[in-house]
Amino acid sequence: MNDWLLAPILIPLIGGVIQVFMGYAPISLRRTLALITTSLLLVSALVLLSLAMDDQYRVYAFGNWQPPFGIVLVLDRLAALMVLLTAVLALFCHLFSVGGWDEGNRQFHALFLFQLMGLNIAFLTGDLFNLFVAFEVLLIASYGLLMHGEGTSRTTPGLHYVVLNLTGSALFLISVGLIYSATGTLNMADLARTVPDLTGADLRLVEAGGLMLLVVFGLKAAILPLNFWLPRAYARATAPVAALFAVMTKVGVYAILRVYLLIFGQGAGGLASLGMDWLFPVALATLAIGVIGALGAQNLKTLVAWQVVISVGTLLAPIALGSRAGISAALFYLLSTTWTVAGLFLLAELVANQRGSAGDRIVTAPAMAHRTLLSVLFMLGAVSAAGLPPLSGFFSKVLILQSVTSGPDLAWLWAVVITGSFFTVIAYSRAGSIVFWRTVDGHIESPPGLSNTTRVATGALIATSLVIVALAGPIHQYTDATADQLLDQNGYVNILTVETVGEDH
Amino acid sequence: MELVYALVIGTLVGSGVYLLLRARTFPVVVGLTLISYGVNLFLFATGRLVTGGQPIIGSTDHYADPLPQALVLTAIVIGFAMTAFVVVLSLRSLADHDDDHVNPSRQQVAPANDHEEPRA
Amino acid sequence: MSLPLVVLLPFLGAIAAPLFAQGGRTAIAVASSVPPLIALAALYPQWPVLANGGVVLFSQPWMPDMGLTLSFRLDGLSLLFALLILVIGLLIILYSRYYLKAQENVAKFYSLLLCFMGAMLGIVLSSNLLLMLIFWELTSLVSFLLIGFWTHKQEARRGARLALAVTGGGGLALLAGILMIGNIVGSFELDDVLAARDQIQAHALYPYALTLVLLGAFTKSAQFPFHFWLPHAMQAPTPVSAYLHSATMVKAGVFLLARLYPALAGTEQWFYMVSFTGMATLLLGAYTAMLKHDLKGLLAYSTVSHLGLITLLFGMGTQLAAVAAVFHVINHATFKASLFMAAGIIDHETGTRDMRRINGLWRYMPHTATLAMVAASSMAGVPLLNGFLSKEMFFAESLDLNLPGLWAWLPPVIATLAGIFSVAYSARFVHDVFFNGKPVDLPVFPPHEPPRYMKIPVEILVFACVMVGVFPALSVGPLLYAAASATLGGQVPEYHLTVAHGFNLPLMMSFLAFFGGLLMYSQRHRFFRFHARFREIDEKAVFEAVVARFTAAAHRVTGLLENGSLQRYLALLVISVIAITAAPLLGLGVFIGESGLSPVDAPTAIAAAVLALSAVLTALMHRQRFYALTLLSVVGLLVALAFARFSAPDLAMTQLSVEVVTIVLLMLALYYLPSWTPLETSARRRVRDLVVAVLAGGGMTLLTLAMLTRPFSSISSFFLENSKPEGGGTNVVNVILVDFRGFDTLGEITVLAIAALGIYAMLKNTALTPTTGDGQGHAWSRDPHPLMLRQIARPMLPLALMVSAYIFLRGHNLPGGGFIAGLVTSVALLLQYVASGMAWTEDRIPFRYQNMIGLGLLFAIIAGAGSLSFGYPFLTSTFGHIEWPVVGDFELASAMVFDLGVYLTVVGATLLALVSIGRLSPHSAIKPTQETV
Repeated sequence: MNDWLLAPILIPLIGGVIQVFMGYAPISLRRTLALITTSLLLVSALVLLSLAMDDQYRVYAFGNWQPPFGIVLVLDRLAALMVLLTAVLALFCHLFSVGGWDEGNRQFHALFLFQLMGLNIAFLTGDLFNLFVAFEVLLIASYGLLMHGEGTSRTTPGLHYVVLNLTGSALFLISVGLIYSATGTLNMADLARTVPDLTGADLRLVEAGGLMLLVVFGLKAAILPLNFWLPRAYARATAPVAALFAVMTKVGVYAILRVYLLIFGQGAGGLASLGMDWLFPVALATLAIGVIGALGAQNLKTLVAWQVVISVGTLLAPIALGSRAGISAALFYLLSTTWTVAGLFLLAELVANQRGSAGDRIVTAPAMAHRTLLSVLFMLGAVSAAGLPPLSGFFSKVLILQSVTSGPDLAWLWAVVITGSFFTVIAYSRAGSIVFWRTVDGHIESPPGLSNTTRVATGALIATSLVIVALAGPIHQYTDATADQLLDQNGYVNILTVETVGEDH
Repeated sequence: MELVYALVIGTLVGSGVYLLLRARTFPVVVGLTLISYGVNLFLFATGRLVTGGQPIIGSTDHYADPLPQALVLTAIVIGFAMTAFVVVLSLRSLADHDDDHVNPSRQQVAPANDHEEPRA
Repeated sequence: MSLPLVVLLPFLGAIAAPLFAQGGRTAIAVASSVPPLIALAALYPQWPVLANGGVVLFSQPWMPDMGLTLSFRLDGLSLLFALLILVIGLLIILYSRYYLKAQENVAKFYSLLLCFMGAMLGIVLSSNLLLMLIFWELTSLVSFLLIGFWTHKQEARRGARLALAVTGGGGLALLAGILMIGNIVGSFELDDVLAARDQIQAHALYPYALTLVLLGAFTKSAQFPFHFWLPHAMQAPTPVSAYLHSATMVKAGVFLLARLYPALAGTEQWFYMVSFTGMATLLLGAYTAMLKHDLKGLLAYSTVSHLGLITLLFGMGTQLAAVAAVFHVINHATFKASLFMAAGIIDHETGTRDMRRINGLWRYMPHTATLAMVAASSMAGVPLLNGFLSKEMFFAESLDLNLPGLWAWLPPVIATLAGIFSVAYSARFVHDVFFNGKPVDLPVFPPHEPPRYMKIPVEILVFACVMVGVFPALSVGPLLYAAASATLGGQVPEYHLTVAHGFNLPLMMSFLAFFGGLLMYSQRHRFFRFHARFREIDEKAVFEAVVARFTAAAHRVTGLLENGSLQRYLALLVISVIAITAAPLLGLGVFIGESGLSPVDAPTAIAAAVLALSAVLTALMHRQRFYALTLLSVVGLLVALAFARFSAPDLAMTQLSVEVVTIVLLMLALYYLPSWTPLETSARRRVRDLVVAVLAGGGMTLLTLAMLTRPFSSISSFFLENSKPEGGGTNVVNVILVDFRGFDTLGEITVLAIAALGIYAMLKNTALTPTTGDGQGHAWSRDPHPLMLRQIARPMLPLALMVSAYIFLRGHNLPGGGFIAGLVTSVALLLQYVASGMAWTEDRIPFRYQNMIGLGLLFAIIAGAGSLSFGYPFLTSTFGHIEWPVVGDFELASAMVFDLGVYLTVVGATLLALVSIGRLSPHSAIKPTQETV
């Protein structure tokens, strides 16, 4: 029995249900319960990680039905990594939110926890249609969260985000349909087993489905040209929500990793590494457009939002090349960038609060309170985001650059990544020196203080960059092993032979 | 039969996409609904078209594929939830901007000057 | 082992320094001087080993897969640099104590200074190229903060960003270069790299690697054409300039040249790139230095020029040249540091650095003047001072450089010319400042000698200049030897450190340079006038302008792409799908598969036709929204029929009930939304959309056709076989939903729940004024709750509840189930709202819908978790038979508890959503539920 696999799904679900009932309880109580839930989630994530360390696949068959007939959860290194990534992120975003950002909506914590539930289902499920359901759960929750907060500024971006994703969901269903219509199964392992034998029209149908799926995941991951909705939506979302959304694009990346390495992996016969030849140039273009956006950003949150786009491009380029080193490097970068970007979102909010009407715009304003702390955090975050030493961003970038050793791929990847980080440095140094250094006389009318929870949350997320550097060796060993596991489809296919409990029930 | 069915789906999706690209929230919502009809019919048809084979044990000798039906049922429910949400969102947008255009702040559309002070 | 400690100490100091802030400047200065002192003490015992070419190594794995190890290496070269960094650093710490004002952020200053010291030590002590690079970029970052220390000065901020852009950018190039070297050698360890000379230089990537590495070195060492950042870095506090531009920052570049000399030098490419860059820089720097009126500007450009000299020496590629280069590194560090400090003192005491105003200071500060004059003479290369010795060596080397034909003259001529300039600007530094008449309206008058301790660092350095100048062999001989041998990888050429090598050509050149320089100084005004013809360009301003233009352009581009238009984003999405699926679709070739088409019966055909027609009409008539809605409902109805027609009764029922609620929902929406869509999109746009729509529809048609006409086998036989025996239900679809794939359903109802909660949250505190009519001129009925409706509605409720109960119970075996039952109930309740109004209904509903939703989810969870206690996985169902009134023998599956959860969630969610919308209208007779959290 691998009941632990259930934990990261049931914990937020139950926690969320409690919040639903508690809607009218005092907010302090709701906050306590919510934070307890996220903490428990983190614990369970750590347990899963320790389980995944032994390279075994752990299967949890819902309803005790033998896969491929029932829905299964599958724990491997990748799933464990994603769950942990999310749990850490969630805990600090949640901690930040109780600094007052959770007010004005009795269901904020419920939505927050359901969001986490959806994410964890997506990471753990071994069933393609269930992945769709998971996407819907996390999307509907994200719609609610995106709309959370005072004011009208986020209504329009919210509307765009929702409509686009509804279209995406429709596409997802079509793809699933196409794949099912030719393979007659939905279980990912079973698909990985069936797809290589496809021929003729079946092959074409599945190819169409697979490519359509790539667009769906691309929309989630915000690759060019499907990423223009992102900057406004993220820049205007309430800070802890925007920070949590740092992982939303990564869900798309995860799905690409999972589906295109398992079902359409090297061993997939006629459909081997499907769509990856599209993905590589698109990823580089995404990186480039992200840098341009960051350079042109007029306020900190937009700058960070474009940083999200940059990271997606940087992540997918090596993944598209599909080498072990590349995948491992991408996973390493995934940890680094997600937490750093989230930290920067929170930081931008704190800065905005200190600057009165100037907000987070990159313009001159009276000197802000807490300037030293905030500017130091910004410096760290920017250095890590731009991939400068000595923070984790640099390590990830070096790993990514090292993952290609010859050929035009090397030229393209190196040129784009290195030029990209040069301009990113320009963008951040400009923003930083204007926001933190260039001041005019006058003073802000009674700026809000910095509560300890917000300090801790922001600081911790940015400090993860240092932790990653300190643990670089072990972490990279883990990601290497993860890449090996991902590239060996057979290991995953073998979950079909899992024993169900008892003979009859 | 298959051809007719396929044409119906095509029409649904086509009309839906056209409406999806309109500039007002209501047509967009209607478009989404049409598309979801088409998609549900499509997903349903992945089990192929069977006449008189409702998958109720003992009711017939040849059963239609029950799995797509279950999937579509789930899809319908989720689609319903999503439609409800987007309808309400369009109402909220109407309330906030007093305008049912999908990009109400058209004057601000380009270039993206991103900072709007919350109207609280 | 002490090496990592040496690097670590300054960083620890940086963290510790602020703790002494209360103690004032002295306390911090003393505290900050502790780490370098310990470091020096730690280095001292290593000397015997190094003196005769030994090496001290320390290695500790960090990230093996990346080739990154914490490995440090202490040899002559790194020792030399380490000493410069530490000793001059100490002097700077002492000097700054008196330079900084008490009210300045002294703590920040000292911790940054120590950070910088640590980073520099890291560069020179690293034995792993990646590790070195980390410290390299660290110096760029810290120098950014140091140069911008006076954040309120725009000049300082710009200078800082310029420096960061140039040196940081160079660092990125260096990174690429180092990674290439790593590719070639297969290791980043210095020992391996230095040993792999031939392998590297033979490799195809060598030209690129070398170019990139040199880019790094040249940007850092301010070589032409990247020299421009250095003068602007003079915006930093003078101690910083003295440190960065004498001993550290800019020396990092030449250190890199020295460090990689054995591996990279000795090729044509190296020779031309390095030596010519050096020559250009040497000359340009020296010339510009002479024209600067700003004291620090003069020193800055002279620094540029001397760095060019060192680079040129490394470029020459001869061993003696390398020795000379290393030697000049020492000498330049000593005299340039002292000169900067002197300049700082003068600035400090007179309040200006403009040499046209500070004259005749000899009268006011003879002590400082003496020191400065000695240092300046050393810079000019006057005999008996250290500057002279290395310059002699340089002249000698420039002569031995055998370039083809007339080119052979170039190096010595340039060398002499540069010598002349340097004498000229040194002369100017001395004469203009300390003599040349009286001061011209100084801000601070009269100037006087600085505090005693502010001069000590200068004295020490000047003393060093003299010592080295007079007793070179005794003073620096061993150190230079160790350093040179480390640079050249062991084999050190024959060279003599003596004050004079007798009367020879180099000496001639020196004399020429000396008198030529004095002559040129006397004629300086001609040069000023000549130079005045050219417009002075401020690189900072240029940089700012460029960045501004880039930013603006980027913003424009972003604005064009990300223009906030949903239509565009959607079009992009749909078009991408069409584009990416086109290939496989065409790959199908023939769209009708082997199983072919089956015959069509008339009713189906007609229904299909109506369905398609009403879909198209919905699109065409969409501007009259009520018609569109009506047509939409027709479509929905026919879709339900289609499900029924193709043997999916459950789907038909579900679709039907959902349809009802959806239409109610949209009706409600139209109650607020304008009922008429204006025609605003251009004809071209409509055509484009039409094309996209047709392509999408056509694609779907073909895909569907191809799919439907192919044979098919799926895992479903399993469900059909096991539904009854294992799942305890004959309605396979329902058993799949609540059992085989119950987890999907759990997710599904969660979605429903979240949607409702989200809707509720989104609409509270939102109010809308409803439209007055349907837009076609018919006004709404005035009567909110017509009597007739009320009369029918109320008795309907119990009836509807019974129906839904029935549908629910039969669900497991016959079409029906929790979801449909839930919708029926919701519709019935909705009817009450419509008929009798909000207030009336809510008074009779004793619970919050939120709680109902929660309860539903809870039931589902409990139903699923029940099996856990029996050791079975989540959602494992069990069932038994019981006698049941009315229905008779009845099969009760635990899955039905789950289905009950579905039922409750559906009712709660649907009602919460719709009621929230009903509340929107201000006169919906309900007290707005004000949220106060």
